[in-house]
Amino acid sequence: MLSNYRQGWHFLIAAGLIIATIVIVLIIPAGDLAAHGVILEYTQNSSVEITARYDYGEPMSGAQVAVFAPGSPSEPWLTGTCDDSGKFSFVPDTQIPGLWEVQVRQAGHGDIIRIQISEGSAGPSGAGGFTTAQKIIMAAAVIWGLVGTALFFTRRRA
Amino acid sequence: MHLPDGIITAPAIIGGYAAAAGITAFSMYKIKKQHINPRNIIPRAALLTAAFFAASLIHIPIPPVSVHLVLSGLMGVMLGWFSFPAIIVGLLLQAVMFQHGGLTTLGINACIMGVPAILAYYIFYIRKKSGQKKPLTHALLAFGASFIAVVLGALMAALLIIFATPAYLDAAAERNAVIALSIAHLPVAIIEGVFTAIVVLFLLKVKPALLECDGQ
Repeated sequence: MLSNYRQGWHFLIAAGLIIATIVIVLIIPAGDLAAHGVILEYTQNSSVEITARYDYGEPMSGAQVAVFAPGSPSEPWLTGTCDDSGKFSFVPDTQIPGLWEVQVRQAGHGDIIRIQISEGSAGPSGAGGFTTAQKIIMAAAVIWGLVGTALFFTRRRA
Repeated sequence: MHLPDGIITAPAIIGGYAAAAGITAFSMYKIKKQHINPRNIIPRAALLTAAFFAASLIHIPIPPVSVHLVLSGLMGVMLGWFSFPAIIVGLLLQAVMFQHGGLTTLGINACIMGVPAILAYYIFYIRKKSGQKKPLTHALLAFGASFIAVVLGALMAALLIIFATPAYLDAAAERNAVIALSIAHLPVAIIEGVFTAIVVLFLLKVKPALLECDGQ
């Protein structure tokens, strides 16, 4: 039966699991933290160049790219693949101003980036993603929230 | 194994949410039927959710892809029917904080990882049916449960990617990438199997009650 649990033991063992996991996360080189996210960056002159890489740095070579013009979210305006260094460039039709969407994906990983194209524009560049420090703090906050929940439910009842 | 937003067709997304809602409701029903005081399991569920959340942040490069621990088998073995709701919470946090997975695909991902977790629970449950008390039986069942959970999850993800992707993608290229990804999950399945077996052996020695999650 569960009623004769000694909650202290129960907590300690599970906490050991968590701490082991956190330690593993922290000893892994910073660039390796956070698996599997995808980071898309772009620079934009007359053409738009996309750089796609996984968030541990590996370029998404051979990833499939679909470009969507504003107003047609289901029909791609252009499709193609990234080269070996994860780059893909295209010349958007400046006659169709607005938010262009570029989707990059490979084997179920991927992301979408939105690029503002205005008529005859030479726009900025942009990137996404968090820094490693942000990620560690976010992960620690979530883990503490869960550990706190566990502590709340194991507290001694009056 | 975490499918992101925007790669799965709308019917599959809706189907995934419907299935996840149904399984969650059924999990609640089973939990109620097993006469468990949820207060006894919630601390364990919270801590394992933390482990599940953190595990996906550790990636293991297996060229040409990169994979991460899933821990669905461990969740199932230690939480039983609590594993499905716990996995949904973990996936929600991963999707919102790290864009790992996605909100539209939350239902699908919950099924991909939660259904194998419940299966793992029932595989590990064989130890009770057979009445075996030996550590070796426990270890083998824990290994098998975790191994199958990862393989089944990878298979479900691969099938979804192949059959529920938008038509404009190059299906052949995507299929090759998916096959590489699925094969890369075999070492993960072995690592997780060994890890779960170690955890089970440890608990069996120090606190066997922690391996009970069905109020029996």
